[in-house]
Amino acid sequence: MRSAVLRFGRERSAVAGVVIVAIVVLGALFGPLLYPASPIAIDHALMGSPVAPSFAHPLGTDLLGRDELARAFAGARVSLTVGVTAMLIAISLGTVYGAIAGAAGGRIDALMMRVVDALLAFPSFFLIITVEALTEKFALVLIIAIIGLLSWMGVARLVRGEVLSLRERDFVEAARALGASPGRLIFRHLIPNALTPVVVAATLAIGDNILVEAGLSFLGLGVQPPTASWGNMLQGALTPDARNAPWLILTPGLLIVVTLLGFSLLGDGLQVVLDRSIGQNLDAAGDGAPSLLVAPLVAEAG
Amino acid sequence: MTAYVIRRLLGAIPLLLLVSLISYALMALSPGGPGAILGAQARGMTPAVRAAFVAQLGLDKPWYVQYFFWLVALLHGSLGYSFVDNRPVLEKILERLPITLELLVLSLIVTLAVAIPVGVQAATQRGRWFDYLSSALAFTAYATPVFWLGIVLVDIFAIHLRWFPTSGIAALGQQGNVADRLRHLVLPVVTLSVVSFASWMRYQRGSMIEALAAPFVRTARAKGLPERLVVYRHALRNALIPTVTLLGLTLPGLVGGAYFIEYVFSLPGMGLLGIDSVFSRDYPTVMGITLLSAILVILGNLLADVLYAFVDPRIRYD
Repeated sequence: MRSAVLRFGRERSAVAGVVIVAIVVLGALFGPLLYPASPIAIDHALMGSPVAPSFAHPLGTDLLGRDELARAFAGARVSLTVGVTAMLIAISLGTVYGAIAGAAGGRIDALMMRVVDALLAFPSFFLIITVEALTEKFALVLIIAIIGLLSWMGVARLVRGEVLSLRERDFVEAARALGASPGRLIFRHLIPNALTPVVVAATLAIGDNILVEAGLSFLGLGVQPPTASWGNMLQGALTPDARNAPWLILTPGLLIVVTLLGFSLLGDGLQVVLDRSIGQNLDAAGDGAPSLLVAPLVAEAG
Repeated sequence: MTAYVIRRLLGAIPLLLLVSLISYALMALSPGGPGAILGAQARGMTPAVRAAFVAQLGLDKPWYVQYFFWLVALLHGSLGYSFVDNRPVLEKILERLPITLELLVLSLIVTLAVAIPVGVQAATQRGRWFDYLSSALAFTAYATPVFWLGIVLVDIFAIHLRWFPTSGIAALGQQGNVADRLRHLVLPVVTLSVVSFASWMRYQRGSMIEALAAPFVRTARAKGLPERLVVYRHALRNALIPTVTLLGLTLPGLVGGAYFIEYVFSLPGMGLLGIDSVFSRDYPTVMGITLLSAILVILGNLLADVLYAFVDPRIRYD
């Protein structure tokens, strides 16, 4: 464990990932406390003529005279909430589903994987916007549930693959010989040993979910104004009035880029470290390269 | 090979049935589904007219019966009629499809033309500045939301520099002018290529590093071949094989990205039609587009597998 931490410390990009993620998390947690401007209070004096970044408004104001920095902090809370909780849903579902399929084998496995193939066959993003548009409520809980429920398939494949190779191993054989029930076999023996690649997938999934939420909010199908989200801040900047206020486009965009960069560097670093310390192979091409490949499997967001 | 392709195509049928069943059920059962549309459209109708209307659309039946009717119509080559303008859905989609395909194919060409050489170069310079720089660029590109990049590029190159049009596929009165069409496609294609560059470049780099470590490369070097030949003739040929499989893996993401790009650039392709249909509750069109996207993805996967056997004669499908 200690050596894994040291190895992680030597991966400069992984450390950069940790630092970025830490900054975003701290900003989301403490930003609104330290910077008390309201993210939704409209300053009527500034309405229609956004103010450039200044001492009073470090990131300027938007078209309704709302403080952009306060909205950025509020948006970070939304992004992280959606990213992490939707990830937890998708990872739990995918892990259990994949483990059951892998452990069951045969026809059940084939059928279960067919369902995964079908769900992976259409751009999940289109499915998500369809469901979002039809349900029309846009509550945060609903957005999280939809993203989580429609993005577990990559994890299911990953876990199934792990379980298929694990279930022939001696310790599983031994547990079976000792009379372990299928449930105990799956939850006590197979899942815990298949979790290493899931940790990487989970990290990358947070970034993917943040991107999906931003995309939904950008289309007007996610978090609804006045609640701030990076996606709807960008949407709000798309009027001709905002053409002379480039900070309204740059702020939410760069926040998304930096946050996603943090999570993918972190995921990549974890993969390199876990790969070497446990010798488990997620990595088809060697060299820790394809973590970017795991990501498209986890969620086909734009 | 032919037998394999036919078997795969037949295998795609249950998959497509499942895709259509899942999307039909999701749409029919969600609270804003066709029942709600009807509620909105039926305002001001007398009960008798309303009942006739409901019956005409088949919405008085349970969703699985409606799904069955939809399937029967599909077997007769019809995807139904749009709720918006009553035109056949298939016709609406087919007239939009070329733009989406142009966008996807052009950006795939651009991506490959850049990502493969960069990946190869990064692998040969492993651990040096070019490798770090290209990987840093790949990670940043991967983290960039496609819709934001589109907005920024429009802002710089269309609004401020006026090099390219901001949106659409043709200037007024220029329909059929190829040069004009390409000019409209430059920014969308670049946007999509930047975002997909990352996966291809990193994957090519990985497979190239593996190929460069292979015994036959050592042999080639040992017999005194120039490094250029070793890299491009011996190693690259083998390193391209795994890269081909990426085609199938990235296709769903590419199609998803194309939707956003069509939205940002107002390109009248299938994706924009899809998003518009979602907003206008054009239920049959949404179904049609879901099905067609799935077909596109499944065909792409099949193509990747066939290409895989083509570039690597050791692989046999029988």
